[in-house]
Amino acid sequence: MRTDDLIAHLSEDMQPVRTGMVARTLLGAAALGVAGSALLMLVALGLRHDFTASMSSFGMWTKLVYTFAIAAFAFWLVERAGRPGADMRRPFLLLGLPVLAIALLSALQMSAPGADSHGLVMGHSSRVCAPLVILTALPSLVAAFWALRRLAPTRLTLAGAGAGLFAGAVGAFVYSFHCMEGAAPFIAIWYTLGIALTTAIGAFLGRHLLRW
Amino acid sequence: MIAQEAQYRDWMLAALAGDGAAYRMLLQGLTRHLRSYYARRLDSAAAEDAVQETLIAIHTKRATYDPAQPFTAWVYGIARYKLIDEYRRHKRRATVPLDEAADLFGHDEAAEAVARRDVNKLLEKLPPAKRRLVKDIKLDGVSVAEAAKRTGLSESAVKVTVHRAIKSLAEGLGKGQEGRDAD
Repeated sequence: MRTDDLIAHLSEDMQPVRTGMVARTLLGAAALGVAGSALLMLVALGLRHDFTASMSSFGMWTKLVYTFAIAAFAFWLVERAGRPGADMRRPFLLLGLPVLAIALLSALQMSAPGADSHGLVMGHSSRVCAPLVILTALPSLVAAFWALRRLAPTRLTLAGAGAGLFAGAVGAFVYSFHCMEGAAPFIAIWYTLGIALTTAIGAFLGRHLLRW
Repeated sequence: MIAQEAQYRDWMLAALAGDGAAYRMLLQGLTRHLRSYYARRLDSAAAEDAVQETLIAIHTKRATYDPAQPFTAWVYGIARYKLIDEYRRHKRRATVPLDEAADLFGHDEAAEAVARRDVNKLLEKLPPAKRRLVKDIKLDGVSVAEAAKRTGLSESAVKVTVHRAIKSLAEGLGKGQEGRDAD
């Protein structure tokens, strides 16, 4: 086909494009992902037995705020990554904030008088934490990839990493409702590890699954 | 900021609102940039395919353009992605040349228009008959024999006239330059 004919064909019967397609796609995927991850956690792992009491504990809110902040900035990063040529610096830089905050809080708890630093770091579930975060993240990872495939990612590894980061943070957020831990050093190490591994999985898959 | 940004962005916004004529002008404008971009990076058959693939990608992914971001950066992102895709498909090269949006839109039509205007201004300094000859032979590619037939002069007279006219223009330019230097 000649290029001129192609242009004529493409510009025939133009329909207005509904604004907000990117936001709708991503929000829909996020909602499905969160629902899927929550369902998986409830069925496979179960809610922590002291759920009601835990909602007024500092440790629970440490986990929820930390993982929610990462999920929110990662969502923004994915939104940028799905648009060619978009500037990603701001969401990238903002991701440093929750990481810095959890590091400071960990230092504070570790340096408190009489702190049991081994207990604060290792808790009772350090070995299963990261794998279970990854497991809980999987439905959100599928949803984030589905959404990105409908957009136009041009840096596939980076876009995949963004999707993995988002899914990992959602997974960790949801996993918080099962996990009994609440010490900042534990969260800073094991939750972050689970999120980072999910990010790595996303980065690897991005190159293969996000081509269009 | 890339020179064409404002114009292309206006066309794109009109196209997103359903304006087919604006969209057509946009795609025709972009095609010129894409052709020269891919021609410098792919062989000629692959280059035209890449142009068409990119136009189709622009079309199918047009909802991902965010009006808060530069439009030329959006197009460049797609063009570069399609270039990398082409390299990957033929496993021709592991690395992709470093370039940036200005390389896609680097063929500067604004500068070309200015140059054309300058030449026309310069030619106005010549008497009409000489101006016509210089324009025909030097700009429009008319042969000396044809110009001689048109004007009724001999071929050698045509050559001499054009030569002298160019020389006088060059001298005029030189003087203008000196004048500016003296300021």
